[in-house]
Amino acid sequence: MESMLSFLLATLAAPLFPGIILKVKAFFAGKKGPPLLIKYYTLAKLLRKGSVYSTSTSFVFKMGPTVSFATALMALLFFPLAGVKPVFFFHGDVIVLFYIMGIGRFFTILAALDTASPFEGMGAAREAFFSTLAEATVFMVLILFYRMNGSLSFTDYFQSQNPITLMSPNGSLLLFVVVSMFMILLTENSRVPVDDPATHLELTMIHEVMILDHSGPDLALIELGAFYKLFFYAAFISHLLIPAKFAGGAAGGAVFVGTLAMIYVAIGVTESITARFKMNLVPKYILTSFALVTFAAILTTMGLV
Amino acid sequence: METFLVALGLLLTGGAFPLFTHRLFNSMKAGYIFITAVGCLIGLYAVVLPLRNPEIMTVSWSWLHLFTLSFSIDSLSAFFLIPIFFICPLTALYSFHYMNKEQQSGRTAVNFFFFTLLIISMALVVTAKNIITFALVWELMSLSSFFLVMYEYQRDTTRKAGYLYFIFAQAGAMFIFAAFAVAYSHTGSFAFDQFARIPSAAKLIVFFLALVGFGSKAGVFPFHIWLPHAHPAAPSHISAVMSGVMIKMGIYGIIRLYGLLAVTDPIFGQTVLVFGMISGVLGVVYALGKHDIKKLLAYHSVENIGIILIGAGIGMLGVSSGNRAMAGFGFAGCLLHVLNHSIFKSLLFLGAGAVLQKSKSRHIDQMGGLIKNMPITGRTFLVGSISISGLPPFNGFISEFLIYYAAFQGLNQNGSTFILMMLSIISLALIGGLAAACFTKVIGIVFLGEPRSANVAGAVECGLTMTAPMVILALSCLVIGVLPEPFINLVFLGLRDMQGVGAVGPDIIAGIARNLAFAARLFLGILVLSTVLRRIFYMKKEVSRGPTWGCGFTLPTVRMQYTGTSYAMSIVEFFKPFVKVNTSYSGINEIFPTKTTYASRVDDVAEIGLNKAIIGPLLTVLGKMRWIQHGNIQLYIGYIVLTIIVLLLFI
Repeated sequence: MESMLSFLLATLAAPLFPGIILKVKAFFAGKKGPPLLIKYYTLAKLLRKGSVYSTSTSFVFKMGPTVSFATALMALLFFPLAGVKPVFFFHGDVIVLFYIMGIGRFFTILAALDTASPFEGMGAAREAFFSTLAEATVFMVLILFYRMNGSLSFTDYFQSQNPITLMSPNGSLLLFVVVSMFMILLTENSRVPVDDPATHLELTMIHEVMILDHSGPDLALIELGAFYKLFFYAAFISHLLIPAKFAGGAAGGAVFVGTLAMIYVAIGVTESITARFKMNLVPKYILTSFALVTFAAILTTMGLV
Repeated sequence: METFLVALGLLLTGGAFPLFTHRLFNSMKAGYIFITAVGCLIGLYAVVLPLRNPEIMTVSWSWLHLFTLSFSIDSLSAFFLIPIFFICPLTALYSFHYMNKEQQSGRTAVNFFFFTLLIISMALVVTAKNIITFALVWELMSLSSFFLVMYEYQRDTTRKAGYLYFIFAQAGAMFIFAAFAVAYSHTGSFAFDQFARIPSAAKLIVFFLALVGFGSKAGVFPFHIWLPHAHPAAPSHISAVMSGVMIKMGIYGIIRLYGLLAVTDPIFGQTVLVFGMISGVLGVVYALGKHDIKKLLAYHSVENIGIILIGAGIGMLGVSSGNRAMAGFGFAGCLLHVLNHSIFKSLLFLGAGAVLQKSKSRHIDQMGGLIKNMPITGRTFLVGSISISGLPPFNGFISEFLIYYAAFQGLNQNGSTFILMMLSIISLALIGGLAAACFTKVIGIVFLGEPRSANVAGAVECGLTMTAPMVILALSCLVIGVLPEPFINLVFLGLRDMQGVGAVGPDIIAGIARNLAFAARLFLGILVLSTVLRRIFYMKKEVSRGPTWGCGFTLPTVRMQYTGTSYAMSIVEFFKPFVKVNTSYSGINEIFPTKTTYASRVDDVAEIGLNKAIIGPLLTVLGKMRWIQHGNIQLYIGYIVLTIIVLLLFI
């Protein structure tokens, strides 16, 4: 019951947090910025509208938003939030979930290619390439976690006897993970310095250009899925940061939400003070995150921790 | 065992049938397909008993008074018989509309005959029980498939591909026979079950010699060179069987030999694992670089053989370290991927054949938008693509999950095993991502978007006998993905008679199978819910159609679409030291440029290496020996006399 409640709360609250990013960016730019609830307004607006479909498209184009939304929901269903057990969990669910997110990406890319637009094809190619590299980092993190904790489930990672947090005895290794997961968060959720959600030139976009032809409720589903995905990654990092003793209860919930908000602030700050990379630097950026985690994983064999 | 022999007998009758009836084209095809289907069904029925019953059935005959031909079905053989008897009748059915040239009736009949020989020889390969039998049926398999590849023998490329395949098959067979010879010199017996008695140093030689031979049949990098030539040359349903089923005979050989040798040294597992990782990653990278749809699929076979070998390697390392879960799940993932790959790869080849027949082109950059005119082919190809990318809720994910699971079990160890497990997990992740990239390319460029040529625009859906097998195969992909429990149990049954692989606790297996099934069904459920949600959002909304947003450009042409080449280029270039990319670009050097050309080609480093290191020197040496062949018959007789004298003197 509690799990279901926290899941529902997460689905409802996820669009709130990206508002924080906008506020932070506005602060850095010396502007007032849009209201905190802007994303809810956007969703409501999109849901009221109809759609225009390109004559080039087939049913695959319409499946794209649904599949990516469903995969994002799946991720939240299996992810523990603020000391509450997730709705579902089993040994091995991490592999299943990262692959399920893979199928979401598969259909997003197909939907982009379905429009016959060269720009969308370009974005699709970039997405396919970069996310493959990001996947390597994610699996390296799973390897490291297995070494530290012997489990293959989000719930066991963060809520077992021997949870994975920075404050645990071998937590120093997690500094690497926090940094590289933050890099992966930026990559997978198309944030600066990899991609710029606010850019105006189609040639330089990655994710945004893939959904150019989606409109109305379809676009709303995509946006909502993207909010969930970002929420998932941010929650992943918050679990690493929060000490185990703050796991349960109202206080634990408050700490969790606070940390989560801090991560969104960090995204906002990163977006404000960095320029985005040239496309050919992005693979190197992702491989840096991979190298960091690999380093941590190798350290576990040295008996240092 | 009797049922099995009855099935083979019936198949043989079916194979001979077209040779006599080829004047009646359609009845010949229908009769052949019917008999073959019945034979394969009986064969599938014959598999049930050995899987259920631990007793191993054997049958043997004496041959030439010197040798015994003996066959037996244990659980491993039975498991490998399943793809043979399941895939072959479907591809035979497909050939009814695919082989539609009545003027080539005789040739079609011969093709059917060799197809039957291939089915029978594959079934015999997995049941052969001694060296002589194995060698005989292995050769029969290679030769019958050679004739199948040579179907369109008038074409120059086909002949070249056929001879290349022939050379690889024979050279590979030489390695296998050499391995057997070494084994025979130590045991003095033709029987396979004596192999465990070989001293361990010789076991190494036997295994590695055979690994080269079996590897070249399976298409392991760098022995895979024949695959991307032979698969495009053969008719599509033949490619489907060769890629889906026949190359698995190489895998069978490796696993069987490993079981027979009863070795526990980690070097075996390590080698297999490293070969697997190289094949897996490079296979998919080359697939990304190729634009001939069948060549691309051939490279995906290399990739999937890599995944299968990663599973086998992890299993072997599990046996070495006594880690039962690792051994069991590694081999289980390997076997399940054998079955899965046979399903989705034949599905994809059949789909490619349909596209080829209707669009009259192999180059994916000339296609586009086919899903609108060929809805069934398009949808089934989509299912096959998701499955081969290893994404849930389809079957490829189940086997990859088992391999992941085994690899994670091995992470607890230190030293080289840890490093290898780490590398294999990362390669699996990388392979998965790249395969998804490659198949989004295929689907996106071939089936989605706008048609890029007139032939493609005018394509129509193919006949019922071509779509029906594809639908059945696509459904099988979904069934294994959503109901994995019986299939996971099946592979563990298949492992029962493998020596050294101890049993894994049934609760663990059942638990994993249940969880995977649950996740797949949950995902499907959520997907249905989201679709309903989307429907609700669109109720009473205005939906219209218009052109794709051209970013302000108002005169788009279909040539402006992203192509497969451009889609894959950045990924391929990332792997540059292992992939040779040749581009030629005329450049723009005038103020009013006229014609500009750009061409790019991705070359296989293994092929270049083979040409440089072996074929070049070989040709030089042989060229210098040419004076031996002078065409003077008296001197040839002289050679014979000389040889006899030398033999008499020294032996």
